[in-house]
Amino acid sequence: MPVRIRRSFRAPGSLAAFLFLAPFLAFYGAFLVVPLLLGAWMSLHRWELLGDLRAYCGSGNYLRMLRDPLFRSSLVHSAQFTLMAVPTITAVALFLALVMNRPHRLYAALRSIFFASGALSVTAVTLIWLMVLNPSRGLFARFMAALGFAPVDLLADPRLAMPALVVTTLWWGIGFPMVLFLAGLQQIPRELYEAAKLDHASPWTTFRRITLPSLRRTILLVLVVEVILQFQVFGQVLLMTRGGPANRTRVLVQYIYETSFRDWQVGYAASMSMLLLLVMSVASFVQLRLSRPGD
Amino acid sequence: MRRAARLPAALAFALVLLVACVVVLDRRARTRPASGPRTEITLLRMFGSCSDEYTGVTDLSRAVGECGVIQVLTNAFNAENDQGISVRTQTIEWSAYYDRLSAMYAAGNPPDVAVMHRSVLPDFVARDLVLPLARDLEDAGVDFGDYVDPARQAVTIRGEVYALPFDFHALLWHVNLDLMAKAGLVDARGAARLPSSPEELFAHAAQMKRRTGKHYLAIPSQTDPMPTWTLETWIWQQGGDVLSPDGRSARLSTPQAITALSLLNALYREGHADRGLDYARAEQAFLSGEAAVLINGTWVVERYDAQANSGAAALRHYGVYTVPTLFSRRAAWADSHIWVLPRHGHPDPRKHRAAVAFLRYLHDHGLNWAKTGHLPVRSSVLASEAFQALPHRADYEGTARIARALPPIQNQRAIQDVIVEEINATWHLGRTPAEGLEEAQSRVDEILKRAAR
Repeated sequence: MPVRIRRSFRAPGSLAAFLFLAPFLAFYGAFLVVPLLLGAWMSLHRWELLGDLRAYCGSGNYLRMLRDPLFRSSLVHSAQFTLMAVPTITAVALFLALVMNRPHRLYAALRSIFFASGALSVTAVTLIWLMVLNPSRGLFARFMAALGFAPVDLLADPRLAMPALVVTTLWWGIGFPMVLFLAGLQQIPRELYEAAKLDHASPWTTFRRITLPSLRRTILLVLVVEVILQFQVFGQVLLMTRGGPANRTRVLVQYIYETSFRDWQVGYAASMSMLLLLVMSVASFVQLRLSRPGD
Repeated sequence: MRRAARLPAALAFALVLLVACVVVLDRRARTRPASGPRTEITLLRMFGSCSDEYTGVTDLSRAVGECGVIQVLTNAFNAENDQGISVRTQTIEWSAYYDRLSAMYAAGNPPDVAVMHRSVLPDFVARDLVLPLARDLEDAGVDFGDYVDPARQAVTIRGEVYALPFDFHALLWHVNLDLMAKAGLVDARGAARLPSSPEELFAHAAQMKRRTGKHYLAIPSQTDPMPTWTLETWIWQQGGDVLSPDGRSARLSTPQAITALSLLNALYREGHADRGLDYARAEQAFLSGEAAVLINGTWVVERYDAQANSGAAALRHYGVYTVPTLFSRRAAWADSHIWVLPRHGHPDPRKHRAAVAFLRYLHDHGLNWAKTGHLPVRSSVLASEAFQALPHRADYEGTARIARALPPIQNQRAIQDVIVEEINATWHLGRTPAEGLEEAQSRVDEILKRAAR
C-alpha cells in the first residue's frame, strides 16, 4: 500500500509545515493582504479619514484621477525623478563596485563607508543634505565660492531642485546596489579574465566583453529594484522641498499623503495608491520574467 | 509519526501560553490606573519640546518662549491641582501636527486635550470630532463674557462654543531700530517710522539701501506661508477679501489681490527683500543685522527681545509694531491657538472632568501665555497692568483690534498651500500676478466645493 504510507507521512508533515508558516501567514494576511483589499474597497468610495463619510462612488475616484491636473503633474514628477535617479544610481553603483572589488583592507573599509549612509533614516539624510546645500553656509556654497561662482540655492531653483533630490538619494541609496554588483562581480569566473589577459585584451575590452555581459542579470535586477524603490520617493521631497519650488518636485506619494492626511480624502488617496501598485506590479512582473532561470 | 507531531503540539501550546500571558498582562495594565487615585490625561500640542530643560520647574517666572511657558504651566498644574490629575504631554512638530492628530483620531486614540488653530476647527466640528464646551467651562467657572468678541467668534461655530481661546497670533513688523536710525527712519522718540502707503514703503526701502546697504525687509519666503499672510493682509487693507463672506467662493482674482501680489513681488524684484530666504534664514538675516524689518508673527517677540538684550546677536535695539496700514483700512492677518477636547468613542467622565479642570487652569493663566508675545484674548488681561508692563506691548496691542482671519470654512490648510504654490509660480514660472491669482482662484474654488457637508 504505497499510497497509504505516503499519505500518512504527508498529513502530519504538512500540518507541521503550516504551523511553522502560520506566524508569517498571520502577519502577511493582517498587514498586507487585508490592507490591500481594504485599500481596493476604499478606492471605490468617497471615504474620509475622520468622520463617517463612506459613500460608494464606483469608478468616481478613478475618473477624478484622469481629470486631476495635480495628480498628473505629481505622476510626471515621480516618473522624472525615477528616470533621473535610476540610471545614475545604477551607473555610479557599478562604477564603485568595479573600483572596490579588490582584496585590500582599504577597499573593505571603503565598501563599508559607502554602504553606511544607507543605514541612516531619511530624516538624518535630509538634515545632512539641507546643511550641505544651504546657500549661505553650506559645503556646496563654499565649493562654488572657491571656484569663483555665486552661491546657488539648488532647492529653490525650479530646474535644479529635482537633480538636488536625486543627488541626495544617490548618496543615501548607493550602498545596496553597490553590494549587489559586488556580489555579481565575485561570481564571474577568474579564468575568463586570465584568458583575456593572455589574449592581451585591453581593460575596456575586458569590461565590455566579459564584465558587462556577465553582470547582465545583476544590472537588470538593480534597475528593476531601483525603479520600484525610486518611484515611491517621498521622504526626501517632503523634508527638503515640500514639493516646491512652484510645485516642481511634488511627487505621487507626497500627493497621496497630502490627500489622505491633510485633506482626509482617503478614498481618493487609495485609488491613487492602487495606480501606484499597478506600476510596481508591472516592474515586479518584469523582474520575475527576467530572473527566470535559463533566460 | 508521533515524534513528528510532538513539535507542532509543543509550538501550539507555547503560542497559547503566550497569548494567555498577553491577555492577562493587558487586562492588568488596563485596570490599574482606574483603581488608583490619580487621573492621567494626555495633552497633544505643538510649540516644540523642552520637557528636559524644564524638568520639575513650576516657577512660571522662569519660563521663556512658547514651549517654556506651556511646559511650566503643565508642570505647575500637575504639582498644584488637588484632584489627583496628572497631564502627560505629547509634543509634535508644527509641520506634522495635524497629520499626526488626524492619524491618532483615525486609530481611535485621540488625546484628551489638544491645541489647535482656529483655522482648522471647522474641519473637526463638521465631523463632530470635538466636544461642545460652553456648559462645561461655565460650570468650571470660566466667564466667557470676559473674552473679547473676535476670540469668542474664533471658537463659535453655528452658535456653539467648541474650544477655549488662548491667544491671537498675528503678523507683526519686527524692527532693528539701529538700522532704522542709521537710515533716518526713526521719530523723535526713537520709534520706527513705518510707511503708510506703498510709495512710502519703496521710498523707505530705497533710503535703507542707500544709507546702510542692507535689505529693508526680510520675509520668510520659499514655501513658507508668510508671503501668503502678507498678501491677505494687503488685500484686506484695500477693502478686498480673500473669500466671499459666506465662504463659498474665492475672491483672489480681483484688482485688490493683483495690487497686493504685484507690490510683494516688486519688493523682491527691486532687491528690497530676498525671496530665497526660508523661515530660518530670514530670522537669521534679521538677528544678524542684515535686514531692518522682519515680517513674522507674535510668537517670537519674547525670544527676539531676549536675544537683543543678551548682546549676543547683532540686533541690539529691537522694536516690534503692528503691521503698518499701506492702504485705506487697517487689517492684519491673524490666527488663534485654541484648546479642544476631542470626542472619544468611550468617554471617561473622570478624564473629561480632569481635562476641563486643566482648561480652567489655562484660562486663569492667559497672562503667562501672553508673555511669549501672543495677544491675550481676555479683556481683563488686556487691561491689566501686568500685561501693559510687558515690553513693546504698547507698540502692537492695537493688533488685537485689527486682527483678521478667514471665515470659518473647512480645508483652510489646503487653501493656504494653494496660495503659497501660486505665489511661488509667479516667482519661478514666469506667471504674472494676474495669471497666478486666476489659477489660485480656480483651485481654491475647487477646494471650497468639496467641503464635506
